[in-house]
Amino acid sequence: MRAISGIILIAGTLVLQGCAAPEPSQDLLAPTEAQMKIRSVQTRTFDVKDRQLAMRGVIAALQDLGFIIERANEPLGLVTAARFAEPNYYDVVGVTVTVRQETEGRMMIRANAIYNNKPIEDPKVYQNFFATLERSLFITRE
Amino acid sequence: MRRAILVGACLLLWSQLAGCVTHTQPVELFQLTEESPRHKAMQTRFFETKDEAELLSASAAVLQDLGFQVEESVQDVGFLRATKERSAREYGQDIGRFFAFVLSLGKLIMPVDLHQKIAATLIARPINPEATRQEVRIMFYRVVWKGDGQADRQYIPPGQQKMEMLRDPVMYQQFFAKLSKAVFLEPFAL
Repeated sequence: MRAISGIILIAGTLVLQGCAAPEPSQDLLAPTEAQMKIRSVQTRTFDVKDRQLAMRGVIAALQDLGFIIERANEPLGLVTAARFAEPNYYDVVGVTVTVRQETEGRMMIRANAIYNNKPIEDPKVYQNFFATLERSLFITRE
Repeated sequence: MRRAILVGACLLLWSQLAGCVTHTQPVELFQLTEESPRHKAMQTRFFETKDEAELLSASAAVLQDLGFQVEESVQDVGFLRATKERSAREYGQDIGRFFAFVLSLGKLIMPVDLHQKIAATLIARPINPEATRQEVRIMFYRVVWKGDGQADRQYIPPGQQKMEMLRDPVMYQQFFAKLSKAVFLEPFAL
């Protein structure tokens, strides 16, 4: 009998503990080392003079990869695209690409990819993307 | 006996559902596959014209003829996105639902496809520096929503989603046939 009430007590405290929401830490928005690393993985610079040309290359690369272009904004250099994780149609991969001029004749291209609303941090993903983009930009320039 | 049948039916359904879930890893999704060039060839046509704006507005007109509503357009990068919503009811699914209902002795009401949104994204772009030749690439896809159902006493709420790319070559041929008529140009594939 005593054992049962003890178990109930322990279970009760466990349940109550689950209710306390974790406090957001002070450095929630502060840059961390991991963020700097992921940013360098997501960014690459290309020798392209025209920003519109670079954007068209980005769009072509995404289409080659089977992405659906959802939104594009030329003045801001933004492209948003998504695709279903085929052959299964319940997972979604989204990607936002920004094209910005770094210096004269050099474009900085950054890609952010998410998989089912979780950011992708695997460098291999971005390497693959930039490899396709490089090919697409090269063909465009021909 | 009845319970055994019910358990059997549930197990069968469950194993079918479990078989469907294979997660493709993101790394594979950012790589060109063997099918990529084939899909590209199907979705792309080239036009000998300088007038990209005309090609884009003709594409929008063709999509409107096909019942699409243009939702997004950016002329600077030659981009169009259009959608249309239609019913997704199919007799086959209703028949399947009926047999599942009978075989499970009224315990199982399978959800069927109810509503779908068919969408198209289109990109027109010049492919040579003089911009005398334009490429048009279009992609069709759809999202299907299921209705509600019931498994034993468990109610299955409506709204379950399924998404798929549409890869029927006839659909693409029809679109490009209409587009070439609209711009008075003969398209060609490389």
